[in-house]
Amino acid sequence: MACSQENQKHIYKYLDEEMTLLEKKQFEAHIMKCDECHAQLRELRKTVAIIQSASHFEAPKGFTDNVMKQLPKQSKSQTWKNFMRKHPFILAAATFFLIFAVSLSAAFSDDDKEIVVKGEGQFIVDETRGVVIIPEGESISGDLIVRNGDIEIAGEVTGNITVINGEYLLASAEQVSGEIEEINQFMDWLWFQTKSFFSEVVNFADDSESDNHSD
Amino acid sequence: MDIIVKKIIAEVKKGNQQAFAELMDLYKDKVYHIAYRMLGNVHEAQDVAQEAFLRAYTNIDSYDINRKFSTWLFRIATNLAIDRIRKKKPDFHLEDQVAGTEDLTYYSQISADVDLPEDQVVQLEMQEWIQQEIMELPPKYRAAIILKYLEDLSLKEISEILNLPVATVKTRIHRGREALRKRLRD
Ligand SMILES: [Zn+2]
Repeated sequence: MACSQENQKHIYKYLDEEMTLLEKKQFEAHIMKCDECHAQLRELRKTVAIIQSASHFEAPKGFTDNVMKQLPKQSKSQTWKNFMRKHPFILAAATFFLIFAVSLSAAFSDDDKEIVVKGEGQFIVDETRGVVIIPEGESISGDLIVRNGDIEIAGEVTGNITVINGEYLLASAEQVSGEIEEINQFMDWLWFQTKSFFSEVVNFADDSESDNHSD
Repeated sequence: MDIIVKKIIAEVKKGNQQAFAELMDLYKDKVYHIAYRMLGNVHEAQDVAQEAFLRAYTNIDSYDINRKFSTWLFRIATNLAIDRIRKKKPDFHLEDQVAGTEDLTYYSQISADVDLPEDQVVQLEMQEWIQQEIMELPPKYRAAIILKYLEDLSLKEISEILNLPVATVKTRIHRGREALRKRLRD
């Protein structure tokens, strides 16, 4: 044992490397003279070295599989969450009752590729196929604009449909009250933008006679 | 490493069981090793390590992703190991080993499998002896010594794993070390 309680503490501090440089020098000087402290320090160091020489080893084979088999079966809501995670294309049968613009996966893809939908009603976006679906029994009141995606209509759209960089799939004309326009060229797009800008702001000359007799 | 672990855990939290398998592959050896050092028996170590992972899985929602995952996991594992030791009859490992459980140390399993050259046998005996000495420590010192000297963890981490103040951890390491010193001196 150490020669004193005080030096016992010093031995631990020394071993744990908690001494200041000065304390360390002083204690090392003490060890040179004191056999008891020296012996205890040496024994403790040896003890630590022996314990640290204990080998590490691996978990038995099949360990992970064994645990995986015992994991609780996933609950229904969990399975649904998983399904949603594995199939992110069904974002949601999102319900929107205001005019809106949705852009999907804005964080991951460049602007060119994200599907943008503008309309009022309930729809589904299938991102993998790049299709916007108006499900059966659902109705979009007013115009619908889809950019960078196809549109598939099982339900109803009361206004005009404009598909930019996409196609109009599978629908009978009865389901759409307005006109269907596909715009796939940049110039067309520009034209569309310009036209709608003017029709909104000024009454565009060509159109003004057929509809739009505002105020 | 930390970023990868966080991503995997976020997946597990979402209910992705496959991500949990990845998480296990990262930590199973350490958890098993801690359990074995605490219990000194391969079967019990496997039991406790597996139970630790099952609990980690079912309680993953209570894990705070801003904290170190290994600390949380090791805490579950050491608690289970300490519980297991408490439930044993006091002298179980001394008396009952005679009754045919003596082959359950890691080293006896290795040496039972193959014929080893002499120097490796000596190595194994040495390793077996170290484990026996660890087993002689009272469980609370044992845990502190294992985490400090075998897992090389900081006092702060050990204090979080054992849910004890750093000063108490220090005392336990000192006492455990002192107990081992006295035994190893002879
Ligand atoms: Zn002295």
